[in-house]
Amino acid sequence: MTPTHANLEAQLDAYLDGELAAGDARALETHLAECPECVRFRDRRLELRAAILTGIPTFQAPAALRERVQAAARANARRRFTMQTVWRPLALAASLAVVAFGSWTLALQRAAGETLADDVLSSHIRSLMPGHLTDVLSSDQHTVKPWFNGRLDFSPAVYDFAGRGYPLLGGRIDYVGGRPVAALVYGRRQHMINVFVWPAARGPTGGPERRTRQGYHELHWTTGEYTYWVVSDLGLAELQDFAQLLRQADSTAGAPAARPGV
Amino acid sequence: MESSALARFDAVVLPHLDAAYTLARYLTRNAHDAEDVVQDACLRALKYFDGFRGEAGTSARAWLLTIVRNTAHSWHKQHRTDGLAVEFDEREHSPAVTNRQPEARETLGRALDRLAPEFREVIVLRELQGLSYKEISDVTAVPIGTVMSRLSRARARLQEALREEEVR
Repeated sequence: MTPTHANLEAQLDAYLDGELAAGDARALETHLAECPECVRFRDRRLELRAAILTGIPTFQAPAALRERVQAAARANARRRFTMQTVWRPLALAASLAVVAFGSWTLALQRAAGETLADDVLSSHIRSLMPGHLTDVLSSDQHTVKPWFNGRLDFSPAVYDFAGRGYPLLGGRIDYVGGRPVAALVYGRRQHMINVFVWPAARGPTGGPERRTRQGYHELHWTTGEYTYWVVSDLGLAELQDFAQLLRQADSTAGAPAARPGV
Repeated sequence: MESSALARFDAVVLPHLDAAYTLARYLTRNAHDAEDVVQDACLRALKYFDGFRGEAGTSARAWLLTIVRNTAHSWHKQHRTDGLAVEFDEREHSPAVTNRQPEARETLGRALDRLAPEFREVIVLRELQGLSYKEISDVTAVPIGTVMSRLSRARARLQEALREEEVR
């Protein structure tokens, strides 16, 4: 058969790619031997291939991206591993240990603090998965706050800092440290900020504690009422600025003594 | 995922992160979006990793690139409809404009950026990542014959762009 030139180009490409079936390849070689036009076409394709090799770069994944992906994989593995195999026996062991040895309590608390920070981090990472960020999608604090009613046994303070460049994006319920918590989502350009809030078990702490893992910053503090964890891959300075806004808003709006009955 | 599965994820998926990022770079035409797309894609990969058994004919790279491609396409749709993302003219901000680079690179790179996504992706998958037609057909969810004709048309356009540059 004599291939027509119209479908020859695609065939020649496939031939050069080593993807043409043996029979077709032989027919094409026969044709090439007697068709200078197709030989020119082939040569131009070979030139193009060389030009692509030198002219179109491949890219290396940025180190920060690689770290975030590894962190996500680890958080995912740790979470499942902890839930399934470690946590339940550990909880039992811990309750016995607290009774038996007071000195263990401190160590366990510290370990629990780390576990909590890891928990918060993996919740943050999981929330970035498509469709996981918000259960209630609204930039209106008066929509988001009531949404939590009846879903949680507390009512978290919800603010909108859009004027300061941190718009409210929504909220969801998450499960952290063995209890349901409120997760409020704020944005900063393309970055997401997760604010985890739940009632404080102990009294207020001072300035935010800070932890950085695999490119994510975590800020943590406790007010008289609530425990706060703020997580984002936003730059630390901006995240601290955001935390400051949150603390100010809390101290001016949230003081229960100033608004009895609320 | 157990720790053995984690080790498998590290061994099977992470080696292809550069390939994933390269594909995302050409699909989004922007470094920042490419990072987000790859991160998203990897989270999806993690989620579905238990289901990936590496059956005959499914390479881990093709599997990951499939997820990256689908993520990039859904991102593109989202960003066009939600109005949050301002359309960004890549050509204005292309590094090729600011960095002095060999002319062939500038021309070909820009020509590739101008191709429709279905042509751009076959070039990247074949020329930069060396996938077989069968793998490209799996990644892009079109028959092998379509892969073949798209590749040929995409190459013809790139060649045209090169020739125009020579004439100038």
